[in-house]
Amino acid sequence: MSRIKHISIVIILAFLGLIMLLDLNKIPNQFEYANSIYHHITNNAVGETGSLNFVTAILYDYRAYDSMGESTIIFGAVSGIVLLLSRKTLPVSSHGLSFIVKRTYGMLTPFIFLFSVYIIAHGHLSPGGGFQGGVILGAISIIFSIVYGSEFDYKRYTPTTKTLLETSGALLFIGIGLIGIIYSGSFLSNLNILNSEPGSLLSAGSIPFINLGIGFKIGAGLAIIFYSMIQKTFKEEASL
Amino acid sequence: MIILKYLLLIFLGVTAYLAISFKEILISIIFLSIFSIVLTALYLIHNAPDVALAEAVIGAGLNTAIFMTVISQIRADEDCHCRKDD
Amino acid sequence: MINHIVFIFIFLLGFYAILVKKSLIKMVIGLNIMEGAIFYWFIAITDRGGIIPIVQSTQVAFNLNDPIPQALILTGIVIGASTSAFLLTLIIELNKFTDSTNPDQLGGIIED
Repeated sequence: MSRIKHISIVIILAFLGLIMLLDLNKIPNQFEYANSIYHHITNNAVGETGSLNFVTAILYDYRAYDSMGESTIIFGAVSGIVLLLSRKTLPVSSHGLSFIVKRTYGMLTPFIFLFSVYIIAHGHLSPGGGFQGGVILGAISIIFSIVYGSEFDYKRYTPTTKTLLETSGALLFIGIGLIGIIYSGSFLSNLNILNSEPGSLLSAGSIPFINLGIGFKIGAGLAIIFYSMIQKTFKEEASL
Repeated sequence: MIILKYLLLIFLGVTAYLAISFKEILISIIFLSIFSIVLTALYLIHNAPDVALAEAVIGAGLNTAIFMTVISQIRADEDCHCRKDD
Repeated sequence: MINHIVFIFIFLLGFYAILVKKSLIKMVIGLNIMEGAIFYWFIAITDRGGIIPIVQSTQVAFNLNDPIPQALILTGIVIGASTSAFLLTLIIELNKFTDSTNPDQLGGIIED
């Protein structure tokens, strides 16, 4: 019975794949349109936003409202996870890994931090931006939990600190959006203060600050997710 | 470059198949991580460096850590019959 | 054409895992594979064969790749990671009540 079910599922999926293949071949070639949004962005994005990286220009200027919705989704995920996994117990840590791993990671930590700050700050000049650099920032806290044990991570970066960082990142984002209303009349419009020529670090108006806010928000949020997931395991291992 | 792309596409299919066909979940997670790394190389071939960076950091790094945490949580709860490593 | 075939193969592989597998974590892995297939396909069919969409100076460059699908997919990757983390959290909580991650044995929650 199970075998018949299995075979029928495979046949149905193969039929579905055939239909999808016949359908996907009818997609029109979108490269032929002369007046698409692609031409507008590649011709005008540097002049309008000052960002040399066009993906960052779209994410934090043309579609910045979309990015705000995305960070709201991450905030919702963090809230749900903390609500589901809240145990109100102080985490009892494992002892972490060996001495060699601890020393090596201790020496590597400033460089990882520097790399993440580089990726966040140069988001409008090179590949990267707030999302990628923020995840690397969160990874520092995650590797601390693994290498040194979660008690060390709890003492250095308490959950209050992480919550503070996440909230301040979100407030920076929304604050820049609100300043945009006062300055030029629309939410999240690009502020043209602090604007040197394109290609330098403090160009591109408000894009580097939004990058900074998103980076702190994402990094602290992912660190909170990992921290609230890891708690109970270490408690049970210590009690064994 | 086109040969490299075809090789990577074949490798992508193989890792996806292996990721869902193993019975041990730990091996599946490792193959999911390899799947993300191959996907990163494909994004670079298609000239999308921002997406490649995000996929490398999130797909290969963070997702693996979160999946491993869940595995350790579940194995701490139940006496798992499929623990063959150690 | 090869992009369509690979996309359909990997997408249906992930869908098959969601339909057949007896472990909820395997289902989340299948969901991640489906996500990866869609993201790759979207990047691949919007590739114009141009250069990386980053310019060196303020002079307008031509023959760039399209930056809009890349921005959309970048958003999608981050959202996919957070939703899969939330799904795994739900699996942890479910495992506390039923001592199993097999979806066939979840009827006990409803009957209680």
